[in-house]
Amino acid sequence: MSDQQALLAHYRALAQRDQPVLPLQQQAQQYLQQHGFPDKKIEDWHYTALNPLLEHAFTPASAMDETLELDRHTLGDLLLGNEESYQVVVYNGAYQSQLSKTRGLPAAVQIDSLQQALAGQDQTLMAHLGKLSGEGEHLFNALNTAYLQDGVYIRVPAGCKLDKPIEILHVSLSFSGALMAQPRHLVVLEAGAEASLVEHYASLGDSLCFNNMISEVFLAEQAKLHHARLQNESRQTRHLASLYIQQQQASQYHATSIAMGGLWSRIEFHNSLDAPGAEAWHAGLYMAGNAQLNNNHLKVLHRAAGCRSREVYKGILKGQGRAVFDGLVKVDIDAQQTHAHLSNANLLLSRDAEIDTKPILEIEADDVQCSHGTTVGQIDPELLFYLRARGIPEHQARQMICLGFAGDIVETLHWPPLRDYVEGLLQQRLQHITRIG
Amino acid sequence: MKQTSSLLSVNHLQASVDNKPILKGLNLEVKAGEIHAIMGPNGSGKSTFANVLAGHEDYTVSAGNIHYLGENLLDLSVEERAHKGIFLAFQYPVEIPGVNNMVFLRTALNAMRTAKGEDELSAPAFMKLIRKTLAELEMDDRLLKRAVNVGFSGGEKKRNEILQMALFQPRLAILDETDSGLDIDALRQVAKGVNKLRDPQRSMILVTHYQRLLDSIEPDYVHVMADGRIVRTGDKSLALELEDKGYSWITDEEAA
Ligand SMILES: Nc1ncnc2c1ncn2[C@@H]1O[C@H](COP(=O)(O)OP(=O)(O)OP(=O)(O)O)[C@@H](O)[C@H]1O
Ligand SMILES: [Mg+2]
Repeated sequence: MSDQQALLAHYRALAQRDQPVLPLQQQAQQYLQQHGFPDKKIEDWHYTALNPLLEHAFTPASAMDETLELDRHTLGDLLLGNEESYQVVVYNGAYQSQLSKTRGLPAAVQIDSLQQALAGQDQTLMAHLGKLSGEGEHLFNALNTAYLQDGVYIRVPAGCKLDKPIEILHVSLSFSGALMAQPRHLVVLEAGAEASLVEHYASLGDSLCFNNMISEVFLAEQAKLHHARLQNESRQTRHLASLYIQQQQASQYHATSIAMGGLWSRIEFHNSLDAPGAEAWHAGLYMAGNAQLNNNHLKVLHRAAGCRSREVYKGILKGQGRAVFDGLVKVDIDAQQTHAHLSNANLLLSRDAEIDTKPILEIEADDVQCSHGTTVGQIDPELLFYLRARGIPEHQARQMICLGFAGDIVETLHWPPLRDYVEGLLQQRLQHITRIG
Repeated sequence: MKQTSSLLSVNHLQASVDNKPILKGLNLEVKAGEIHAIMGPNGSGKSTFANVLAGHEDYTVSAGNIHYLGENLLDLSVEERAHKGIFLAFQYPVEIPGVNNMVFLRTALNAMRTAKGEDELSAPAFMKLIRKTLAELEMDDRLLKRAVNVGFSGGEKKRNEILQMALFQPRLAILDETDSGLDIDALRQVAKGVNKLRDPQRSMILVTHYQRLLDSIEPDYVHVMADGRIVRTGDKSLALELEDKGYSWITDEEAA
């Protein structure tokens, strides 16, 4: 047996569970039996080297007997809101109710452990779970579904406008080897509901972890969700996230995805605008340095008339950092009066940094306003000269230019504590940029 | 009476860009407190000279030397020159996306203060200083809230340069065509900024194509630059003569 086959056997075995499983889990098990790892021959994975995921046989935390009593002290300043957010902590993929703070939540709003909601056969949950995932599915998605255990379940009832953001802190840590966390989130905003969701992925120390997560987000008519996502995990962490967003009439989805951590990270947004007047805004900032690969995979599908979307992704690459931007906006034949603008800009700070960028518009309708554009550049020496001529030391001038480049993306973070936190992280990461990156 | 101590002394300066010689033996002596105007045809090397003084790395000095405050200027980095009081108001100020103008001004001012061993200015102290400076220049604070020069009109960019000059209080200010493309009000603000800074310790080099700036800022010397050298030096009457006759009578004489 080759290493890959052994690994496949390991994951297939994991997916076989003794307890009864949901139909969608059965399907996922089947998928696993029939498919291998995604590889470069698949277009969606063409630029994404998979090696870092295949170097270890990752095992779910619950099967590894990894138990650490977490307290809020251990989390340090990773939780960003004090009284300004509802807080949920997820540790190695498992919902931590003792660390979560949802006091004051309007009674009809649900923020729950997915495990509990599943056990209670929550109707809304059962009606939505697995309805979006599956599009562009790969083995790791199937693994998440087959193993499905825990995560966060959020339901905001019709017309309810949440007063504070929901902050989800994901931390991971492994003592005894290659650990896999497989959180599974489900977010349902009913008609006219409004909420803000902040997800923060961090590590408690640098250990060998693989976060293999899936989120499904349902936005009913007129619902509005701000969704900020910060991936700032440790240098050994692997992060694979598949997010599925489905939008009904005149709903709004505002996403900001900041990805700067991990050894290997791939974030997929599958966003479908299914009814007229829906709007989706995707802002993204990725950063990769030595030994990091960061992959952003964006798929926005305009399936109804009069929808708008805007996708703006920016990347800063240092050292031998590598990134992939793979953005597709597809406009169906019926999606007339679509407005869609897709752009990707990259700043390469060293000769060895590398970006593969592939923005694609696929348009079948004829009455649309769409555009796409890509830039790849270096720090403009004239900007540097200007700042230095004003007495600003060279390294600080470089930092200012990079922060300025990222500025419009950071500004889309609508929750000030997160915006400040991200600004601080960027300042740190961009502190020592030299002429050679 | 003029001060006699030399602030800047440029001797037989030759500089090139991409191996193309541009400055071809330039001499200039600027004493403390003096204002020198440099005029000359397009492409004669005025901006090149200004850039060399500020330390632009595209320009290679192949011969000659520059002394500033007794030091070899060419040994200093761009930022060290700024710390020691050299200020270049750019002919074409660049746009810096995403960098707030106010933050930029404060960062620059504090970088210079730190280099001089002074404490950084707190945000409120800085605000006070900038308000005062704006008031003196009769400028409003609209430009402070925006990204540095981004989307500024030509005149607004020039005004922003003057604001920086007034804020940083340089020893040697080099204004590269700061008067070009300005409306009458902006021109007055520039003149005001310059005249406010006039001081026996402070010197200026004004690169200009027009006599009108020199009406409100009286230079001690007017130089004509042609083909990378200073070919004629006079007082402000030279500027009037140039306005009248153009450059050819000088450059032709030179060629002859
Ligand atoms: N970075 C550069 N690369 C190539 N050529 C340059 C560069 N900088 C200056 N030059 C050339 O050097 C010569 C002098 O240019 P410079 O900008 O110094 O002229 P100037 O006297 O300031 O002209 P103007 O009055 O039009 O501003 C010109 O021929 C110009 O094209
Ligand atoms: Mg010029």
